[in-house]
Amino acid sequence: MPLLTEHDGDAAALRRGSRRFLVFAALVTLVLLAAIVVRQGLFRQTTSYSFVADSAQDIAKGQAVRIAGFRVGAVAEVRLKDDGQVEVSMEIDADQMRFVTHDARVELRKEGLVGSPTLEIVPGPDKTRLAAAQARLQFSRADGLTALANQVRDEFVPILKDIKAITGVLADPQQGVPATLARIRESSEALKILLANGNRQADAIGAGAVRVLGKAEVDLGHLGQTLESANKRLPGMLDRTQQMLDHVEKIAAEAELSVPPALRDGSAVTSDVREIVSGAKQAWPIRSLIEAPAPATLKADSDLHGEAGRGR
Amino acid sequence: MGARLLLIAALLLAGCSSAPKTADPPRVKAALEAESDGARRYARGDYAVAARRFDEAARICASIDDAPGVGRNRLHLARAELAQGRAEAALAVLAAAAGDGEGPSPGILLTIAQAQLALGRDVAAQQSLAAASAGCGSACPQLPGLRLLQARAALAAQRAPEALAHAEAALKLLQDMDEAAETGNAWRIIAAARLAAGDTAGALPAAGAALDIDRRLALPEKIARDWLLIGDIRRRAAPGDALRQDSAAAAYRRALDVANAAGLAAIATTATQALADTGGAAEAAR
Repeated sequence: MPLLTEHDGDAAALRRGSRRFLVFAALVTLVLLAAIVVRQGLFRQTTSYSFVADSAQDIAKGQAVRIAGFRVGAVAEVRLKDDGQVEVSMEIDADQMRFVTHDARVELRKEGLVGSPTLEIVPGPDKTRLAAAQARLQFSRADGLTALANQVRDEFVPILKDIKAITGVLADPQQGVPATLARIRESSEALKILLANGNRQADAIGAGAVRVLGKAEVDLGHLGQTLESANKRLPGMLDRTQQMLDHVEKIAAEAELSVPPALRDGSAVTSDVREIVSGAKQAWPIRSLIEAPAPATLKADSDLHGEAGRGR
Repeated sequence: MGARLLLIAALLLAGCSSAPKTADPPRVKAALEAESDGARRYARGDYAVAARRFDEAARICASIDDAPGVGRNRLHLARAELAQGRAEAALAVLAAAAGDGEGPSPGILLTIAQAQLALGRDVAAQQSLAAASAGCGSACPQLPGLRLLQARAALAAQRAPEALAHAEAALKLLQDMDEAAETGNAWRIIAAARLAAGDTAGALPAAGAALDIDRRLALPEKIARDWLLIGDIRRRAAPGDALRQDSAAAAYRRALDVANAAGLAAIATTATQALADTGGAAEAAR
Protein backbone atom coordinates (compact mmCIF):
# COMPACT_ATOMS: atom_id res chain seq x y z
CA MET A 1 0.00 0.00 0.00
CA PRO A 2 2.71 2.61 0.90
CA LEU A 3 4.41 1.80 -2.48
CA LEU A 4 1.13 2.48 -4.39
CA THR A 5 0.55 5.72 -2.47
CA GLU A 6 4.07 6.92 -3.35
CA HIS A 7 3.48 6.18 -7.11
CA ASP A 8 0.14 8.12 -7.07
CA GLY A 9 1.97 11.17 -5.65
CA ASP A 10 4.61 11.12 -8.45
CA ALA A 11 1.96 10.72 -11.13
CA ALA A 12 -0.04 13.68 -9.77
CA ALA A 13 3.08 15.87 -9.74
CA LEU A 14 3.85 14.84 -13.35
CA ARG A 15 0.26 15.70 -14.44
CA ARG A 16 0.46 19.13 -12.75
CA GLY A 17 3.79 19.84 -14.46
CA SER A 18 2.41 18.79 -17.86
CA ARG A 19 -0.72 20.96 -17.41
CA ARG A 20 1.35 24.02 -16.48
CA PHE A 21 3.61 23.51 -19.52
CA LEU A 22 0.59 23.17 -21.88
CA VAL A 23 -1.10 26.29 -20.46
CA PHE A 24 2.15 28.28 -20.79
CA ALA A 25 2.67 27.05 -24.42
CA ALA A 26 -0.94 28.00 -25.33
CA LEU A 27 -0.46 31.49 -23.84
CA VAL A 28 2.81 32.04 -25.79
CA THR A 29 1.11 30.88 -29.03
CA LEU A 30 -1.80 33.29 -28.45
CA VAL A 31 0.60 36.22 -27.81
CA LEU A 32 2.55 35.40 -30.99
CA LEU A 33 -0.68 35.21 -33.05
CA ALA A 34 -1.85 38.54 -31.66
CA ALA A 35 1.53 40.14 -32.51
CA ILE A 36 1.38 38.81 -36.11
CA VAL A 37 -2.20 40.05 -36.59
CA VAL A 38 -1.36 43.53 -35.24
CA ARG A 39 1.79 43.66 -37.39
CA GLN A 40 -0.19 42.73 -40.53
CA GLY A 41 -2.58 45.60 -39.80
CA LEU A 42 -5.72 43.50 -39.66
CA PHE A 43 -7.17 45.69 -36.89
CA ARG A 44 -6.17 48.90 -38.67
CA GLN A 45 -8.99 50.97 -40.14
CA THR A 46 -8.64 51.50 -43.88
CA THR A 47 -10.62 53.25 -46.61
CA SER A 48 -10.99 52.03 -50.14
CA TYR A 49 -10.51 54.18 -53.28
CA SER A 50 -10.27 53.15 -56.89
CA PHE A 51 -9.20 54.46 -60.29
CA VAL A 52 -9.44 53.31 -63.90
CA ALA A 53 -6.39 52.95 -66.15
CA ASP A 54 -5.94 51.99 -69.81
CA SER A 55 -3.38 49.34 -68.94
CA ALA A 56 -2.14 47.47 -65.88
CA GLN A 57 1.47 47.98 -66.89
CA ASP A 58 3.61 48.78 -63.80
CA ILE A 59 0.61 48.28 -61.46
CA ALA A 60 0.44 45.19 -59.24
CA LYS A 61 -1.45 43.95 -56.22
CA GLY A 62 0.31 44.93 -53.00
CA GLN A 63 2.13 47.85 -54.67
CA ALA A 64 2.75 50.78 -52.31
CA VAL A 65 0.50 53.86 -52.45
CA ARG A 66 2.12 57.08 -51.22
CA ILE A 67 1.14 60.60 -50.31
CA ALA A 68 4.01 63.14 -50.40
CA GLY A 69 6.44 60.20 -50.45
CA PHE A 70 4.99 58.48 -47.34
CA ARG A 71 3.51 55.00 -47.68
CA VAL A 72 -0.16 55.24 -46.70
CA GLY A 73 -1.62 52.09 -48.23
CA ALA A 74 -1.38 49.49 -50.94
CA VAL A 75 -3.08 48.25 -54.08
CA ALA A 76 -5.77 45.77 -53.01
CA GLU A 77 -7.02 44.54 -56.36
CA VAL A 78 -6.29 44.92 -60.09
CA ARG A 79 -9.23 43.85 -62.23
CA LEU A 80 -9.82 43.77 -66.02
CA LYS A 81 -13.24 45.29 -66.80
CA ASP A 82 -15.60 44.12 -69.57
CA ASP A 83 -14.75 47.18 -71.69
CA GLY A 84 -11.03 46.29 -71.66
CA GLN A 85 -10.06 48.93 -69.11
CA VAL A 86 -8.35 48.15 -65.82
CA GLU A 87 -9.95 48.93 -62.46
CA VAL A 88 -7.54 49.28 -59.56
CA SER A 89 -8.71 49.31 -55.90
CA MET A 90 -6.51 50.73 -53.15
CA GLU A 91 -6.71 50.47 -49.36
CA ILE A 92 -5.57 53.67 -47.62
CA ASP A 93 -5.09 54.18 -43.87
CA ALA A 94 -8.17 55.93 -42.53
CA ASP A 95 -5.87 58.38 -40.69
CA GLN A 96 -4.53 59.61 -44.03
CA MET A 97 -7.99 60.24 -45.58
CA ARG A 98 -7.70 63.92 -44.71
CA PHE A 99 -5.15 64.37 -47.53
CA VAL A 100 -7.34 62.85 -50.26
CA THR A 101 -9.42 65.73 -51.67
CA HIS A 102 -12.38 65.13 -54.01
CA ASP A 103 -10.30 66.36 -56.97
CA ALA A 104 -7.17 64.40 -56.04
CA ARG A 105 -5.54 62.30 -58.73
CA VAL A 106 -3.38 59.19 -58.69
CA GLU A 107 -0.06 59.39 -60.56
CA LEU A 108 2.07 56.41 -61.52
CA ARG A 109 5.62 57.68 -61.04
CA LYS A 110 9.05 56.17 -61.34
CA GLU A 111 11.88 56.79 -58.94
CA GLY A 112 14.20 58.59 -61.32
CA LEU A 113 13.70 57.64 -64.98
CA VAL A 114 14.25 53.92 -64.65
CA GLY A 115 13.40 53.23 -60.98
CA SER A 116 10.60 51.10 -59.58
CA PRO A 117 7.06 52.43 -60.17
CA THR A 118 4.97 53.78 -57.28
CA LEU A 119 1.48 55.19 -57.04
CA GLU A 120 1.29 58.69 -55.59
CA ILE A 121 -1.96 60.39 -54.57
CA VAL A 122 -1.66 64.08 -55.46
CA PRO A 123 -4.25 66.23 -53.64
CA GLY A 124 -6.17 68.72 -55.84
CA PRO A 125 -6.30 72.51 -55.41
CA ASP A 126 -9.67 72.52 -53.63
CA LYS A 127 -8.86 71.46 -50.05
CA THR A 128 -12.35 72.19 -48.75
CA ARG A 129 -13.96 68.92 -49.85
CA LEU A 130 -12.53 65.46 -49.19
CA ALA A 131 -13.10 62.42 -51.39
CA ALA A 132 -15.79 60.06 -50.12
CA ALA A 133 -14.91 56.46 -49.27
CA GLN A 134 -15.03 54.19 -52.37
CA ALA A 135 -14.55 57.31 -54.55
CA ARG A 136 -13.09 56.91 -58.03
CA LEU A 137 -10.03 59.15 -58.50
CA GLN A 138 -8.46 60.45 -61.73
CA PHE A 139 -5.37 58.57 -62.91
CA SER A 140 -2.35 59.64 -64.97
CA ARG A 141 1.04 58.22 -65.83
CA ALA A 142 4.21 60.25 -65.50
CA ASP A 143 6.27 60.24 -68.68
CA GLY A 144 8.78 57.39 -68.68
CA LEU A 145 11.74 56.57 -70.89
CA THR A 146 9.45 55.14 -73.61
CA ALA A 147 7.39 58.34 -73.80
CA LEU A 148 10.60 60.41 -73.93
CA ALA A 149 11.98 58.16 -76.65
CA ASN A 150 8.72 58.47 -78.65
CA GLN A 151 8.77 62.26 -78.25
CA VAL A 152 12.38 62.42 -79.49
CA ARG A 153 11.46 60.09 -82.36
CA ASP A 154 8.48 62.27 -83.34
CA GLU A 155 10.74 65.33 -83.41
CA PHE A 156 13.52 63.65 -85.37
CA VAL A 157 11.59 61.80 -88.08
CA PRO A 158 10.45 64.97 -89.98
CA ILE A 159 13.98 66.40 -89.70
CA LEU A 160 15.49 63.20 -91.14
CA LYS A 161 12.96 63.28 -93.99
CA ASP A 162 13.91 66.88 -94.82
CA ILE A 163 17.63 65.99 -94.61
CA LYS A 164 16.99 63.16 -97.10
CA ALA A 165 15.29 65.59 -99.48
CA ILE A 166 18.03 68.23 -99.06
CA THR A 167 20.91 65.77 -99.57
CA GLY A 168 19.21 64.69 -102.79
CA VAL A 169 19.27 68.29 -104.01
CA LEU A 170 22.83 68.81 -102.76
CA ALA A 171 24.07 65.77 -104.66
CA ASP A 172 22.65 67.13 -107.96
CA PRO A 173 25.68 67.48 -110.30
CA GLN A 174 24.09 70.44 -112.16
CA GLN A 175 22.92 72.59 -109.25
CA GLY A 176 24.17 70.92 -106.06
CA VAL A 177 27.43 70.96 -104.12
CA PRO A 178 29.67 69.61 -106.96
CA ALA A 179 28.62 72.44 -109.30
CA THR A 180 29.11 75.00 -106.51
CA LEU A 181 32.60 73.63 -105.77
CA ALA A 182 33.53 73.91 -109.46
CA ARG A 183 32.37 77.54 -109.47
CA ILE A 184 34.34 78.26 -106.27
CA ARG A 185 37.44 76.74 -107.89
CA GLU A 186 37.03 79.01 -110.92
CA SER A 187 36.52 82.02 -108.66
CA SER A 188 39.65 81.24 -106.60
CA GLU A 189 41.76 81.04 -109.76
CA ALA A 190 40.42 84.39 -110.91
CA LEU A 191 41.20 85.80 -107.45
CA LYS A 192 44.78 84.50 -107.69
CA ILE A 193 45.28 86.36 -110.97
CA LEU A 194 43.75 89.48 -109.46
CA LEU A 195 46.15 89.32 -106.47
CA ALA A 196 49.15 88.97 -108.78
CA ASN A 197 48.02 92.08 -110.69
CA GLY A 198 47.50 93.85 -107.37
CA ASN A 199 51.06 93.06 -106.23
CA ARG A 200 52.49 94.51 -109.43
CA GLN A 201 50.41 97.64 -109.04
CA ALA A 202 51.44 98.02 -105.35
CA ASP A 203 55.14 98.06 -106.40
CA ALA A 204 54.36 100.90 -108.77
CA ILE A 205 52.43 102.69 -106.03
CA GLY A 206 55.48 102.54 -103.64
CA ALA A 207 57.44 104.77 -105.95
CA GLY A 208 54.53 107.08 -106.46
CA ALA A 209 53.87 107.34 -102.68
CA VAL A 210 57.07 109.38 -102.10
CA ARG A 211 55.91 111.90 -104.65
CA VAL A 212 52.43 111.95 -103.13
CA LEU A 213 53.80 112.69 -99.61
CA GLY A 214 55.56 115.74 -100.95
CA LYS A 215 52.35 116.87 -102.54
CA ALA A 216 50.40 116.09 -99.36
CA GLU A 217 52.44 118.70 -97.44
CA VAL A 218 51.40 121.31 -99.92
CA ASP A 219 47.82 120.09 -99.84
CA LEU A 220 47.66 120.35 -96.02
CA GLY A 221 48.37 124.05 -96.41
CA HIS A 222 45.45 124.25 -98.81
CA LEU A 223 43.32 122.26 -96.35
CA GLY A 224 43.83 124.90 -93.67
CA GLN A 225 42.44 127.49 -96.05
CA THR A 226 39.57 125.17 -97.03
CA LEU A 227 38.57 124.62 -93.37
CA GLU A 228 38.31 128.34 -92.88
CA SER A 229 35.94 128.66 -95.80
CA ALA A 230 34.04 125.54 -94.58
CA ASN A 231 33.43 127.25 -91.21
CA LYS A 232 31.78 130.07 -93.07
CA ARG A 233 29.59 127.77 -95.17
CA LEU A 234 28.65 125.28 -92.39
CA PRO A 235 25.36 126.94 -91.23
CA GLY A 236 24.06 126.82 -94.79
CA MET A 237 25.01 123.16 -95.06
CA LEU A 238 23.19 122.34 -91.83
CA ASP A 239 20.05 123.93 -93.24
CA ARG A 240 20.34 121.74 -96.32
CA THR A 241 20.86 118.65 -94.12
CA GLN A 242 17.61 119.48 -92.32
CA GLN A 243 15.86 119.64 -95.70
CA MET A 244 17.37 116.29 -96.64
CA LEU A 245 16.10 114.74 -93.40
CA ASP A 246 12.63 116.00 -94.24
CA HIS A 247 12.94 114.24 -97.60
CA VAL A 248 14.03 111.03 -95.84
CA GLU A 249 10.94 111.26 -93.65
CA LYS A 250 8.74 111.53 -96.73
CA ILE A 251 10.52 108.56 -98.31
CA ALA A 252 9.96 106.49 -95.15
CA ALA A 253 6.23 107.34 -95.26
CA GLU A 254 6.10 106.20 -98.87
CA ALA A 255 8.02 103.05 -97.98
CA GLU A 256 5.26 102.17 -95.52
CA LEU A 257 2.99 101.81 -98.53
CA SER A 258 5.49 100.14 -100.85
CA VAL A 259 7.16 97.67 -98.44
CA PRO A 260 4.12 95.39 -97.79
CA PRO A 261 3.91 94.39 -101.50
CA ALA A 262 7.62 93.57 -101.29
CA LEU A 263 6.90 91.37 -98.27
CA ARG A 264 4.19 89.68 -100.31
CA ASP A 265 6.83 88.99 -102.94
CA GLY A 266 8.91 87.43 -100.16
CA SER A 267 5.95 85.22 -99.31
CA ALA A 268 5.76 84.19 -102.98
CA VAL A 269 9.46 83.31 -102.86
CA THR A 270 8.82 81.18 -99.74
CA SER A 271 6.01 79.46 -101.58
CA ASP A 272 8.39 78.79 -104.52
CA VAL A 273 10.98 77.31 -102.15
CA ARG A 274 8.29 75.06 -100.67
CA GLU A 275 7.36 73.96 -104.18
CA ILE A 276 11.02 73.18 -104.94
CA VAL A 277 11.33 71.10 -101.76
CA SER A 278 8.01 69.35 -102.57
CA GLY A 279 9.33 68.68 -106.09
CA ALA A 280 12.52 67.22 -104.69
CA LYS A 281 10.46 65.04 -102.37
CA GLN A 282 8.43 63.79 -105.33
CA ALA A 283 11.51 62.98 -107.44
CA TRP A 284 12.60 59.34 -107.74
CA PRO A 285 14.16 57.77 -105.66
CA ILE A 286 13.47 60.19 -102.79
CA ARG A 287 9.69 59.83 -103.21
CA SER A 288 9.89 56.13 -102.44
CA LEU A 289 11.64 56.91 -99.14
CA ILE A 290 8.94 59.29 -97.89
CA GLU A 291 5.51 57.93 -97.01
CA ALA A 292 2.38 60.10 -97.37
CA PRO A 293 0.81 61.02 -94.02
CA ALA A 294 -2.72 59.95 -93.09
CA PRO A 295 -5.61 62.47 -93.16
CA ALA A 296 -5.28 64.73 -90.12
CA THR A 297 -7.72 65.19 -87.25
CA LEU A 298 -7.74 68.25 -85.01
CA LYS A 299 -8.35 68.07 -81.25
CA ALA A 300 -11.90 69.11 -80.36
CA ASP A 301 -12.29 72.44 -78.52
CA SER A 302 -15.82 73.85 -78.43
CA ASP A 303 -14.72 76.98 -76.52
CA LEU A 304 -11.44 78.08 -78.13
CA HIS A 305 -11.12 81.34 -76.20
CA GLY A 306 -12.73 80.29 -72.89
CA GLU A 307 -15.57 82.76 -73.47
CA ALA A 308 -18.22 80.56 -71.85
CA GLY A 309 -16.92 81.27 -68.34
CA ARG A 310 -17.49 85.02 -68.38
CA GLY A 311 -19.80 87.06 -70.59
CA ARG A 312 -18.57 87.97 -74.08
CA MET B 1 34.43 62.12 -105.74
CA GLY B 2 34.30 58.69 -104.05
CA ALA B 3 31.91 59.94 -101.38
CA ARG B 4 29.66 61.43 -104.06
CA LEU B 5 29.50 58.15 -105.96
CA LEU B 6 28.83 56.31 -102.69
CA LEU B 7 25.95 58.68 -101.87
CA ILE B 8 24.40 58.30 -105.34
CA ALA B 9 24.79 54.51 -105.13
CA ALA B 10 23.14 54.47 -101.68
CA LEU B 11 20.21 56.57 -102.95
CA LEU B 12 19.79 54.30 -105.99
CA LEU B 13 19.88 51.18 -103.81
CA ALA B 14 17.36 52.66 -101.38
CA GLY B 15 15.08 53.58 -104.28
CA CYS B 16 15.35 50.13 -105.84
CA SER B 17 14.80 48.34 -102.53
CA SER B 18 11.43 50.09 -102.11
CA ALA B 19 10.35 49.85 -105.73
CA PRO B 20 7.53 47.29 -105.19
CA LYS B 21 5.71 49.69 -102.84
CA THR B 22 2.65 51.30 -104.45
CA ALA B 23 3.08 55.02 -103.73
CA ASP B 24 0.17 57.51 -103.72
CA PRO B 25 -0.07 59.73 -106.80
CA PRO B 26 1.96 62.94 -106.33
CA ARG B 27 -1.02 65.30 -105.98
CA VAL B 28 -2.70 63.08 -103.36
CA LYS B 29 0.59 62.95 -101.48
CA ALA B 30 1.02 66.74 -101.74
CA ALA B 31 -2.53 67.31 -100.41
CA LEU B 32 -2.00 64.93 -97.49
CA GLU B 33 1.36 66.53 -96.68
CA ALA B 34 -0.14 70.04 -96.69
CA GLU B 35 -3.02 68.85 -94.48
CA SER B 36 -0.67 67.08 -92.07
CA ASP B 37 1.63 70.11 -91.90
CA GLY B 38 -1.40 72.33 -91.22
CA ALA B 39 -2.53 70.03 -88.40
CA ARG B 40 0.97 70.11 -86.87
CA ARG B 41 1.02 73.91 -86.95
CA TYR B 42 -2.55 74.09 -85.57
CA ALA B 43 -1.49 71.91 -82.63
CA ARG B 44 1.47 74.28 -82.03
CA GLY B 45 -0.87 77.33 -82.03
CA ASP B 46 0.50 78.71 -85.34
CA TYR B 47 -3.04 79.25 -86.67
CA ALA B 48 -2.29 81.70 -89.52
CA VAL B 49 0.15 79.37 -91.30
CA ALA B 50 -2.07 76.37 -90.48
CA ALA B 51 -4.99 78.12 -92.25
CA ARG B 52 -2.85 78.70 -95.36
CA ARG B 53 -1.77 75.06 -95.44
CA PHE B 54 -5.37 73.79 -95.07
CA ASP B 55 -6.48 76.15 -97.85
CA GLU B 56 -3.70 74.80 -100.08
CA ALA B 57 -4.69 71.20 -99.24
CA ALA B 58 -8.36 71.97 -100.02
CA ARG B 59 -7.40 73.47 -103.41
CA ILE B 60 -5.27 70.43 -104.32
CA CYS B 61 -8.10 68.09 -103.27
CA ALA B 62 -10.54 70.13 -105.40
CA SER B 63 -8.19 69.85 -108.39
CA ILE B 64 -8.33 66.04 -108.20
CA ASP B 65 -12.08 65.91 -107.45
CA ASP B 66 -11.53 64.51 -103.93
CA ALA B 67 -14.78 65.70 -102.30
CA PRO B 68 -14.13 64.18 -98.82
CA GLY B 69 -10.65 65.78 -98.82
CA VAL B 70 -12.11 69.18 -99.75
CA GLY B 71 -14.76 68.94 -97.00
CA ARG B 72 -12.24 67.83 -94.39
CA ASN B 73 -9.76 70.59 -95.19
CA ARG B 74 -12.44 73.30 -95.35
CA LEU B 75 -13.57 72.24 -91.86
CA HIS B 76 -9.94 72.42 -90.65
CA LEU B 77 -9.59 75.83 -92.32
CA ALA B 78 -12.75 77.10 -90.61
CA ARG B 79 -11.46 75.94 -87.24
CA ALA B 80 -8.12 77.68 -87.84
CA GLU B 81 -10.00 80.90 -88.74
CA LEU B 82 -12.11 80.57 -85.58
CA ALA B 83 -8.98 80.11 -83.49
CA GLN B 84 -7.69 83.43 -84.89
CA GLY B 85 -10.94 85.10 -83.80
CA ARG B 86 -12.16 85.47 -87.42
CA ALA B 87 -15.62 83.98 -86.96
CA GLU B 88 -17.07 85.71 -90.07
CA ALA B 89 -14.34 84.21 -92.28
CA ALA B 90 -14.95 80.80 -90.67
CA LEU B 91 -18.68 81.06 -91.47
CA ALA B 92 -17.89 81.90 -95.11
CA VAL B 93 -15.66 78.81 -95.41
CA LEU B 94 -18.27 76.63 -93.66
CA ALA B 95 -21.01 77.90 -95.97
CA ALA B 96 -18.96 76.61 -98.92
CA ALA B 97 -18.30 73.29 -97.11
CA ALA B 98 -22.01 72.88 -96.21
CA GLY B 99 -22.98 73.35 -99.87
CA ASP B 100 -20.89 70.33 -100.94
CA GLY B 101 -22.39 66.82 -100.97
CA GLU B 102 -25.69 65.78 -99.37
CA GLY B 103 -26.25 68.25 -96.58
CA PRO B 104 -23.82 69.43 -93.89
CA SER B 105 -22.29 66.89 -91.50
CA PRO B 106 -22.71 67.25 -87.69
CA GLY B 107 -19.05 68.40 -87.50
CA ILE B 108 -19.73 71.29 -89.92
CA LEU B 109 -22.98 72.23 -88.14
CA LEU B 110 -21.23 72.28 -84.76
CA THR B 111 -18.45 74.52 -86.08
CA ILE B 112 -21.09 76.82 -87.62
CA ALA B 113 -22.83 77.01 -84.22
CA GLN B 114 -19.48 77.74 -82.54
CA ALA B 115 -18.82 80.63 -84.96
CA GLN B 116 -22.37 81.96 -84.48
CA LEU B 117 -21.92 81.89 -80.69
CA ALA B 118 -18.63 83.78 -81.09
CA LEU B 119 -20.53 86.45 -83.08
CA GLY B 120 -23.35 86.62 -80.51
CA ARG B 121 -25.94 85.20 -82.94
CA ASP B 122 -27.48 83.02 -80.24
CA VAL B 123 -30.77 82.21 -82.00
CA ALA B 124 -29.02 81.11 -85.20
CA ALA B 125 -26.61 79.04 -83.09
CA GLN B 126 -29.51 77.26 -81.41
CA GLN B 127 -30.98 76.41 -84.83
CA SER B 128 -27.64 75.02 -86.03
CA LEU B 129 -27.36 72.97 -82.82
CA ALA B 130 -30.88 71.59 -83.29
CA ALA B 131 -29.94 70.49 -86.84
CA ALA B 132 -26.67 68.95 -85.56
CA SER B 133 -28.54 67.16 -82.76
CA ALA B 134 -30.92 65.60 -85.32
CA GLY B 135 -27.99 64.24 -87.33
CA CYS B 136 -25.94 63.07 -84.32
CA GLY B 137 -27.07 59.78 -82.75
CA SER B 138 -26.23 58.40 -79.30
CA ALA B 139 -22.90 56.97 -80.51
CA CYS B 140 -21.92 60.13 -82.39
CA PRO B 141 -18.26 61.09 -81.67
CA GLN B 142 -19.20 64.78 -81.61
CA LEU B 143 -21.78 64.26 -78.83
CA PRO B 144 -19.67 65.82 -76.02
CA GLY B 145 -18.95 68.87 -78.22
CA LEU B 146 -22.67 69.14 -79.10
CA ARG B 147 -23.62 69.03 -75.40
CA LEU B 148 -21.04 71.71 -74.54
CA LEU B 149 -22.21 74.03 -77.32
CA GLN B 150 -25.83 73.50 -76.21
CA ALA B 151 -24.71 74.43 -72.69
CA ARG B 152 -23.00 77.58 -74.02
CA ALA B 153 -26.12 78.55 -75.98
CA ALA B 154 -28.32 77.99 -72.91
CA LEU B 155 -25.93 80.05 -70.78
CA ALA B 156 -26.01 82.86 -73.33
CA ALA B 157 -29.84 82.76 -73.18
CA GLN B 158 -29.62 82.94 -69.34
CA ARG B 159 -31.05 79.44 -68.85
CA ALA B 160 -28.57 78.35 -66.19
CA PRO B 161 -30.24 75.05 -65.10
CA GLU B 162 -30.39 73.85 -68.72
CA ALA B 163 -26.75 74.88 -69.28
CA LEU B 164 -25.72 73.01 -66.13
CA ALA B 165 -27.55 69.83 -67.24
CA HIS B 166 -25.91 69.89 -70.69
CA ALA B 167 -22.42 70.57 -69.28
CA GLU B 168 -22.70 67.83 -66.66
CA ALA B 169 -23.85 65.37 -69.35
CA ALA B 170 -20.86 66.39 -71.49
CA LEU B 171 -18.50 65.91 -68.53
CA LYS B 172 -19.89 62.40 -68.01
CA LEU B 173 -19.34 61.57 -71.71
CA LEU B 174 -15.78 62.95 -71.54
CA GLN B 175 -14.90 60.96 -68.41
CA ASP B 176 -12.95 58.19 -70.14
CA MET B 177 -11.87 60.17 -73.23
CA ASP B 178 -8.53 61.83 -73.88
CA GLU B 179 -10.06 65.28 -74.42
CA ALA B 180 -8.50 67.51 -71.77
CA ALA B 181 -9.45 70.81 -73.46
CA GLU B 182 -13.11 69.81 -73.69
CA THR B 183 -13.09 68.59 -70.07
CA GLY B 184 -11.73 72.00 -69.02
CA ASN B 185 -14.47 73.70 -71.06
CA ALA B 186 -17.11 71.53 -69.35
CA TRP B 187 -15.84 72.49 -65.87
CA ARG B 188 -15.75 76.19 -66.83
CA ILE B 189 -19.35 76.11 -68.09
CA ILE B 190 -20.46 74.20 -64.95
CA ALA B 191 -18.82 76.88 -62.80
CA ALA B 192 -20.46 79.70 -64.78
CA ALA B 193 -23.87 77.99 -64.69
CA ARG B 194 -23.65 77.37 -60.94
CA LEU B 195 -22.62 81.00 -60.40
CA ALA B 196 -25.57 82.16 -62.52
CA ALA B 197 -27.86 79.95 -60.39
CA GLY B 198 -26.42 81.47 -57.19
CA ASP B 199 -24.53 78.31 -56.09
CA THR B 200 -21.16 79.97 -55.36
CA ALA B 201 -20.04 77.10 -53.08
CA GLY B 202 -20.38 74.64 -55.98
CA ALA B 203 -19.04 77.04 -58.60
CA LEU B 204 -15.63 77.62 -56.97
CA PRO B 205 -14.31 74.01 -57.10
CA ALA B 206 -15.58 73.68 -60.71
CA ALA B 207 -13.70 76.84 -61.76
CA GLY B 208 -10.64 75.51 -59.92
CA ALA B 209 -10.87 72.25 -61.88
CA ALA B 210 -11.07 74.19 -65.18
CA LEU B 211 -8.06 76.31 -64.17
CA ASP B 212 -6.08 73.20 -63.24
CA ILE B 213 -6.66 71.66 -66.69
CA ASP B 214 -5.99 74.89 -68.60
CA ARG B 215 -2.73 75.37 -66.70
CA ARG B 216 -1.68 71.84 -67.65
CA LEU B 217 -2.49 72.61 -71.31
CA ALA B 218 -0.72 76.02 -71.01
CA LEU B 219 -3.56 78.07 -72.58
CA PRO B 220 -3.05 81.72 -71.45
CA GLU B 221 -6.42 83.07 -72.68
CA LYS B 222 -8.38 80.37 -70.88
CA ILE B 223 -6.25 80.66 -67.71
CA ALA B 224 -6.89 84.42 -67.59
CA ARG B 225 -10.65 83.93 -68.10
CA ASP B 226 -10.69 81.19 -65.41
CA TRP B 227 -9.14 83.65 -62.93
CA LEU B 228 -11.75 86.27 -63.90
CA LEU B 229 -14.48 83.71 -63.23
CA ILE B 230 -12.94 82.76 -59.86
CA GLY B 231 -12.83 86.46 -58.98
CA ASP B 232 -16.52 86.81 -59.89
CA ILE B 233 -17.43 83.78 -57.75
CA ARG B 234 -15.46 84.99 -54.71
CA ARG B 235 -16.95 88.46 -55.07
CA ARG B 236 -20.49 87.11 -55.25
CA ALA B 237 -19.94 84.62 -52.37
CA ALA B 238 -19.92 87.25 -49.62
CA PRO B 239 -20.48 90.82 -50.83
CA GLY B 240 -20.13 92.31 -47.33
CA ASP B 241 -17.01 90.37 -46.30
CA ALA B 242 -13.83 92.45 -46.74
CA LEU B 243 -11.61 89.34 -46.65
CA ARG B 244 -13.60 87.71 -49.48
CA GLN B 245 -13.41 90.92 -51.51
CA ASP B 246 -9.62 90.92 -51.08
CA SER B 247 -9.40 87.32 -52.33
CA ALA B 248 -11.56 88.30 -55.34
CA ALA B 249 -9.18 91.18 -56.05
CA ALA B 250 -6.24 88.75 -55.85
CA ALA B 251 -7.92 86.55 -58.50
CA TYR B 252 -8.52 89.54 -60.79
CA ARG B 253 -4.86 90.55 -60.32
CA ARG B 254 -3.77 87.07 -61.42
CA ALA B 255 -6.01 87.40 -64.50
CA LEU B 256 -4.44 90.81 -65.25
CA ASP B 257 -0.89 89.46 -64.87
CA VAL B 258 -1.56 86.53 -67.20
CA ALA B 259 -3.34 88.76 -69.77
CA ASN B 260 -0.51 91.33 -69.74
CA ALA B 261 2.15 88.65 -70.11
CA ALA B 262 0.29 87.04 -73.03
CA GLY B 263 -0.61 90.35 -74.70
CA LEU B 264 -4.39 89.85 -74.30
CA ALA B 265 -5.53 93.48 -74.28
CA ALA B 266 -9.30 92.87 -74.03
CA ILE B 267 -8.99 90.56 -71.02
CA ALA B 268 -6.49 92.94 -69.38
CA THR B 269 -9.04 95.77 -69.71
CA THR B 270 -11.80 93.59 -68.20
CA ALA B 271 -9.54 92.55 -65.31
CA THR B 272 -8.51 96.17 -64.63
CA GLN B 273 -12.16 97.25 -64.55
CA ALA B 274 -13.06 94.33 -62.24
CA LEU B 275 -10.15 95.22 -59.95
CA ALA B 276 -11.32 98.83 -59.75
CA ASP B 277 -14.88 97.68 -58.92
CA THR B 278 -13.60 95.25 -56.26
CA GLY B 279 -11.42 97.95 -54.70
CA GLY B 280 -14.56 100.06 -54.20
CA ALA B 281 -16.53 97.09 -52.88
CA ALA B 282 -13.74 96.14 -50.45
CA GLU B 283 -13.60 99.68 -49.10
CA ALA B 284 -17.39 99.67 -48.65
CA ALA B 285 -17.20 96.30 -46.85
CA ARG B 286 -14.64 97.76 -44.40
